Amino acid sequence: MLHFAWRMAAHRITSLLAVACAVLGGAALITTTGVLAESGFSSQLPPGRLGGANVVVAADQEFHSSGEMPIALPERATVPAELVGRLAQLPGVTAAVGDIGFPTGLLDSHGTVVPVDDDPTSAGHGWSSTKLLSHPQVEGHAPTGSGEVAVAAGTGVRVGDRIEVIANGRAATPYRVSAVVQAPGAGVYFADETAVRLSGRGSEDSGGATTTADGTASGTATSTDKTGPRAGTVDLIGLRTKPGTEKWVVSAVQNRLEGTGLKVLTGADRGDAVAPGIGSARSLLILLSTSLAGIVLLITGFVTAGALGVTIAGQRRDLALMRAVGATPRQIRRLAAAQSSVVAAVALVPGVGLGYVLAGQFRTILTAHDVLPAELPLTVSPLPALATLLLMGAAVQVSARCAAWRTSRMPATEAVAESRVEPRKPSKARTSGGLVLILGAFTLSVTPLFARTAIGASTTSMAGILAAIGLALAGPALVKGMGNAMARRLRPRVAAPTWLAVANIRGYAQRLSGVVSPLAMAVVFVLTYTLAQTTVMAATSDDTRTGTLAQYRVSAPGLGGLPTGTADAVRKVPGVRAAAAVGSTTVVVQYKEFGSAPTTEEADAQILSPGAAGVIDLGVKEGDPNRLTGATVALSDEAARSFGAGVGERVRLVLGDGTPVQAKVVAVYDRGLGFGPVVLSRDLAAGHTSTNLDPSVLVRTDGSAAAEHRIAQLVASRPGLTFAPTDGADTGQDTPPQVWVNLAVVVVLLGYLLLSIANKLVAATSQRRGEIGALRLVGTTPRQVRAMMRREAAVIAATALVTGLVLSAVPLALLGQGFLGRPWPAGPVWLLPAIAATVVVTAFVTIEFPTRRALRTPPASAVR
Amino acid sequence: MSTRFAAGPAASPTTPAIALDHVAKTYAGGVHALADVSLTVPRGTFLAVMGPSGSGKSTLMHCAAGLDSPTSGSIRIDGHEIAGLNETRRTELRRERVGFVFQAYNLIPSLSIADNITLPLRLAGRRPDDQWLHTLVNRVGLADRLTHRPAELSGGQQQRAAVVRALAAKPAVVFADEPTGALDLRSAHQVLDLLRDLVDELGQTVVMVTHDPAAAARAHRALVMADGQVVESLDNPTAPELADRLVALGEK
Repeated sequence: MLHFAWRMAAHRITSLLAVACAVLGGAALITTTGVLAESGFSSQLPPGRLGGANVVVAADQEFHSSGEMPIALPERATVPAELVGRLAQLPGVTAAVGDIGFPTGLLDSHGTVVPVDDDPTSAGHGWSSTKLLSHPQVEGHAPTGSGEVAVAAGTGVRVGDRIEVIANGRAATPYRVSAVVQAPGAGVYFADETAVRLSGRGSEDSGGATTTADGTASGTATSTDKTGPRAGTVDLIGLRTKPGTEKWVVSAVQNRLEGTGLKVLTGADRGDAVAPGIGSARSLLILLSTSLAGIVLLITGFVTAGALGVTIAGQRRDLALMRAVGATPRQIRRLAAAQSSVVAAVALVPGVGLGYVLAGQFRTILTAHDVLPAELPLTVSPLPALATLLLMGAAVQVSARCAAWRTSRMPATEAVAESRVEPRKPSKARTSGGLVLILGAFTLSVTPLFARTAIGASTTSMAGILAAIGLALAGPALVKGMGNAMARRLRPRVAAPTWLAVANIRGYAQRLSGVVSPLAMAVVFVLTYTLAQTTVMAATSDDTRTGTLAQYRVSAPGLGGLPTGTADAVRKVPGVRAAAAVGSTTVVVQYKEFGSAPTTEEADAQILSPGAAGVIDLGVKEGDPNRLTGATVALSDEAARSFGAGVGERVRLVLGDGTPVQAKVVAVYDRGLGFGPVVLSRDLAAGHTSTNLDPSVLVRTDGSAAAEHRIAQLVASRPGLTFAPTDGADTGQDTPPQVWVNLAVVVVLLGYLLLSIANKLVAATSQRRGEIGALRLVGTTPRQVRAMMRREAAVIAATALVTGLVLSAVPLALLGQGFLGRPWPAGPVWLLPAIAATVVVTAFVTIEFPTRRALRTPPASAVR
Repeated sequence: MSTRFAAGPAASPTTPAIALDHVAKTYAGGVHALADVSLTVPRGTFLAVMGPSGSGKSTLMHCAAGLDSPTSGSIRIDGHEIAGLNETRRTELRRERVGFVFQAYNLIPSLSIADNITLPLRLAGRRPDDQWLHTLVNRVGLADRLTHRPAELSGGQQQRAAVVRALAAKPAVVFADEPTGALDLRSAHQVLDLLRDLVDELGQTVVMVTHDPAAAARAHRALVMADGQVVESLDNPTAPELADRLVALGEK
């Protein structure tokens, strides 16, 4: 059978090219999605500053709930400091280091920030942490006391230099550089006791930090040092072991830690302990790839099935002949499947390769938009390739068998009768299945009315694409109906080419709808997908613009957080009406829905203090945001509804570092799209964030230039601070990364769709060579043939545009109503004409050229 | 593949190649294409079926060959009943015991002549009998054309290739549907000679549908059909005789 499959395949290069392209593109897209998904599960950061530790003990940065995917916790969860001493006593352990990291910025003599390798929010460490570095080269001696510091070699600072350091939000303090450390991920190293004191981790149990004389830190800072919320803890514990004892040490440590929930990491897993936020980046990858997978599989399946449909329709006669000489219906289907699989196999290999390349490109986009940390590599394994082979293989087999179904069931006598006419009636099941799918899609598209979230909006494009697939199924019947209607209206003296074109539309409804529906699909896809993004963006920025009262944002990116007291200082500037610190984190909400099992859900959360009402207007509907003190939260109305909690009620939350809390809801607000579903009080979040410093302060002034000038002066006088106008849009949530990803997806998938459409149209037109030859034999001039084909192209383009518009209109109107309160979406005005032009050009070009080529064949040989 | 045995054991030499008993075929819409036709084709004979367009001769052939199933009545091919079999079983029976030659040759354009000839055997999962094929190919003079595509051959050559294809599986009966309809006189002669020789030399059974009296005159027996019924049966017919009958039918 393969022999015949191959021979017949070799004879039909043009139409099989369509199949090959479909498979190639599909394989690339599925592989890309697979690589992203796999990276989301198993990609790891390089161990960086922990490269020298054989075993790392760290808190679990994931929240586990039964039966669900673990949720990544972005804030550093700590390890009891007392464990350090106990683990140090284990046989085989040569060194045990309790590592603490705290926000630290270096300033040069001009007061500008000198960047270090390590993340500024945790660049400060105790000197003993250098034991965890991989082969550090140290020049100079270990810092001692509270006036010396060692810094990373990359800063260009030399031993003996005097520099200023801003550590954990304190005022800038002069230090003498005692050593320069060269190693990957090196940061700023203080004497151990100084580091403990600066980080506020000191307690009665943990050694000398509390007794060290303090001549530098300000009075207020010292008083909080000793009783800081994280007193008596370290970020992680790194162990160095004697060669060959690592395995033994791991099991001994595991024994010792049983029941604590702490994790023991070795090898590549150590990268997870470097930065706790990495889990969030990974779960974002999983989120992205799952949302991509649906759309990619739908479109790939659609395109592949479509291409196979055209190819097999073109072989109808050959297959019927085979029936006449003794092939069973099943053999015909097997032949069709084998033939398609041969072609698919050829296209799969480069497709999969392309997929790995595309995944790399995709990662570049993501890191460029700060969605992914640049250090996070992609996991490259044969797994996505294997999954692609299985998925595409199955898709090709199934589509080919389905496409050959009718031909294979055709009575053998039809082959003898030399029938080239399509089956007369499109099957009822197919038509009604398609209509049901369209209706179902429209029903699905009401979701944005109830869920004003990015996920709610994503159903819009899903609904659009499902409707387009429904159209592909119901298409032949619809096209036939349209052709009949046109024929009835046709005047009897109409030009021959028009008459012929209409006759073809009626007679070959299946062929025509085979090219109309992918074009309509492209229209629907681009409109719903793009406009869903732009509408959400418009609604989001509308929310943040109207909700943001502040004109300026003050932050300190190089210091890992704003120095303590910045908000107070800004507030005292004349002309400033309000200034409040804002931050953000992630929480896990646990709630019950309709009495079912408890659900857990991850939610972005803003951290606001009571004074924030002066800089951000959340659009409070109920309650009072000024009561955001103590264990309280405010919820968006969406969140309040789905969590089933109103003002005055309590919600169960897990904070970003894994601490479970109960909090009272003090307000329910309207602008959830712009400011996220949850707002935590600053008191509640205190001590449960990695840095405990405010990332930024929002400032509202009286609007005068003098006020701006005075803020600028204040910022300039304090090293490391920056300030920028809020522009109304960047105060709330950033443009969700999904938007960037989705726009990239639109471009890639549209390219794929257009290529396959072009291939399909060329294949379909080439197959009409015999028909064109016959027309010429009965006296149709080439000019008339071209006119007929152009009229058909016009009908194809117009039908595709109109049906595509109609199918997108319903979900988009509902989307607009849900998000913007008006029955149309927001988006660029040029989108529609651009799509129309693309469709028209595609239809005309891909019909015109094969027609011209067909006309070059002498008619007598074309009909043979 | 189990299909090789699906058609059952070979029939004894005395079993007729084809036996129709009160066969009727009615198409959707109430068109009676065949009305109560009974007919036996003994082995080793050459039967011609004639009649004007719409007389039912093509339907008779489609039913007798198992391409289509009758509305009522019994049809036995080589002793095997086909009425009531589904499409797949009929296909399997057909490729085991029936060969076809069509007016339009119906060779698959994308396959070489050799592939076309062995196609039914491969579909049946059977190993071609190389010696038999060799004999056949030499007999029809296509030995040097095996690697060519159908489009590279003349009409007569294509039809001879189709005859070889029909015989490759050593069928109980070969049906020929207007085998000379698309050929020039000389090629038509060659093909008819070939068919007659197969019957005389190899004991093959051939049923040929035609409206050409000259072609039908090469058969042992000729049936004339009209309105779905056999109206006349002539042994060792001559062309003028047959032409008269057809003209008479046309005037009726």
